[in-house]
Amino acid sequence: MKLLSVQELKTYYKTRFKEKIVAVDGVSFDLEEGEVLGIAGESGCGKSTLALSLIGLFAMPLCYDSGSIIINGQDITQLDKETRRVNVLGKKIAYIPQAAMNALNPTCRIKNFIFDIMKEHHPQMSKEEVYHLAKERFKDLNLDERVLEAYPNELSGGMKQRTVIAISTIMNPDILVADEPTSALDVSTQKVVMRMLKSLMKKKIVKSMIFITHELPLLYHIADKIMVMYAGQGVEFGTSEEVIFKPLHPYAVELMTSIVVPEVGQKAQKLSSIPGAPPNLKYKIDGCRFAPRCKYVEERCKTGFIDIKYNEERMYRCLLNRKVVDEVGA
Amino acid sequence: MSNYFKYFLRKFVWYLFTLVIAIGLNFILPRLIEGNPVDYIMAKVTKGMTDANSIKSMYENYMAEFKLNLPLWKQFMHYVAGVFQGDLGTSFGQYPRKVTEIIGHALPWTIALQLPAIVTGWVIGNVLGAIAAYKKGIYDKLIFPLTLFISSIPFFVFSILLLYGFSIVFEIFPSSGSYGYGMDIEFSLPFIVSAIKHHTLPFLSIVLVMIGGQGIGMREMSIYELNADYVKYSKLMGIRDSKIIKYVFRNAMLPQITGLILSLGTVIAGGLITEIVFSYQGLGTVMFNAIKGRDYPLISGCTLIVSVTILISSFLLDVIYGLVDPRIKAAQTEELS
Ligand SMILES: Nc1ncnc2c1ncn2[C@@H]1O[C@H](COP(=O)(O)OP(=O)(O)OP(=O)(O)O)[C@@H](O)[C@H]1O
Ligand SMILES: [Mg+2]
Repeated sequence: MKLLSVQELKTYYKTRFKEKIVAVDGVSFDLEEGEVLGIAGESGCGKSTLALSLIGLFAMPLCYDSGSIIINGQDITQLDKETRRVNVLGKKIAYIPQAAMNALNPTCRIKNFIFDIMKEHHPQMSKEEVYHLAKERFKDLNLDERVLEAYPNELSGGMKQRTVIAISTIMNPDILVADEPTSALDVSTQKVVMRMLKSLMKKKIVKSMIFITHELPLLYHIADKIMVMYAGQGVEFGTSEEVIFKPLHPYAVELMTSIVVPEVGQKAQKLSSIPGAPPNLKYKIDGCRFAPRCKYVEERCKTGFIDIKYNEERMYRCLLNRKVVDEVGA
Repeated sequence: MSNYFKYFLRKFVWYLFTLVIAIGLNFILPRLIEGNPVDYIMAKVTKGMTDANSIKSMYENYMAEFKLNLPLWKQFMHYVAGVFQGDLGTSFGQYPRKVTEIIGHALPWTIALQLPAIVTGWVIGNVLGAIAAYKKGIYDKLIFPLTLFISSIPFFVFSILLLYGFSIVFEIFPSSGSYGYGMDIEFSLPFIVSAIKHHTLPFLSIVLVMIGGQGIGMREMSIYELNADYVKYSKLMGIRDSKIIKYVFRNAMLPQITGLILSLGTVIAGGLITEIVFSYQGLGTVMFNAIKGRDYPLISGCTLIVSVTILISSFLLDVIYGLVDPRIKAAQTEELS
């Protein structure tokens, strides 16, 4: 069943100087119930912006331009602000912010923050009921229930991260958007957090998940499908197997080959980063956005609009003949 | 015994130590001013006298009376013994009034002037700062430069400007004193009206200064808090704006509490110049006159009161801060381990 369908979503930042930075430019994808979608791309390609846009909370400087976000058949971009706040946020779709460490109010006990959230969405629940619910949920997720009584400064970084995950999912949202949930953690804590996210799916606390990262290997273990983003657009969409082991878009190819899959006992290392820098999203870009950095670039890549489309069962945004890419790449 | 309690016990001992040093300085500093106080008194009382012998014996009488003929360390012992008995000595300049009596008369006026002014200025300053940060736009464009302007002017300039504007150019308020000349302190309508009229200008000049400083501080803090990650996260979890504003302003207020308590600590000394400009009969004026007359015991008495209030307020600040801010509490308990 299709849980989320995003169609031609376009959102932008309005800067103080009245410039428009189109950070999400016509992104489309579907998410089925029970699926984990990974979103990968270089820093600044618009991953976090896409995540924020999906929640449907457009607050300055982030603005909505066009497109739809359909959750369970309902386009949430068409809802008024108040309805969206009460019925969508945290309930239908929830978010784990990129810097989850700092996402908690330093002078508010964890339990009081949970009380405040529940008061907005389930005002009929008493404090005791909420407390009970939170305690059960924390136990369920292997989190010390004493955390509820703590202030954020009393928790370690990893603990804060897990607490934020537990708080975000306390209302069993249909979709969870996790923005780089492991980036700031050490390896062993990363594992704990990954396990926690997986168990959220297994326990059906959340129905589907969007997992954002710039570390592709991570996605292999958790994602069913992957979307690769470049300069505000999706450039390749496919199953994890396809995108990780046989990427087709030249950018995805570079992204994959710049990372070695680690052998046993050997640390993963980046071989090379892709030369050049992504384009400035302030300006309108003609042609393929990756063209200036692409090894296989041809004259026709440099003008016109290039759409993401199916080509021999695979979906990617490139004009080039696969054979050419493979030959030059090899 | 909890760590928290231990922390305060240790702090308390430190404050006590500071107090002892303060008492010593209060004693010694006035005595470093050039000039002998008895000369001033003699100049007053011997006007017209010509008999050198009687002048000399009077001089020696005064020296003995004020114990100025004793070595400094002995004077100090007398002073400390007095302090612990609640006796701050006898004023030289207003002989034979006791220092405690003079301070006791002046203190209520100072407190009545400063306390309401500080609290009012603090509240208004914080509200304005918060509005400027939250509403932005025209509010910020108006409030920010205004508070910046106010806080960058030396505070006594306000006193003088207000005095000039409202009591000399427009004779709306009296220019000096705490109540009408020749009135008795009593609970009557004319007296109260007169006291309020005399109170207004010095009150306003302190309020304005407070508004300036606090307004800027609060604006900065609020802008910082409004951009904090927890604000965004709370929004994303569907918490209503009014609630988030409460989070933000509670957090932004915390450092402002320091401002309030520190101002309250200087409640006595803070308005010194304002009092002098308006000849308001508070402690500031008393101290000013005492310094002019080399009235050692009175100077020491005034500075002692000032030191004690500042010490008490800093101690309270420590206690209150730990209670309202878990981060500070954590830091306080950590200091021990
Ligand atoms: N508040 C903002 N105002 C203006 N521009 C912004 C703002 N936040 C992000 N941008 C711009 O939008 C683009 C996308 O940023 P975004 O944070 O979505 O990238 P990201 O893919 O999440 O990067 P990272 O991996 O570093 O988190 C960038 O070019 C960035 O400069
Ligand atoms: Mg990001």
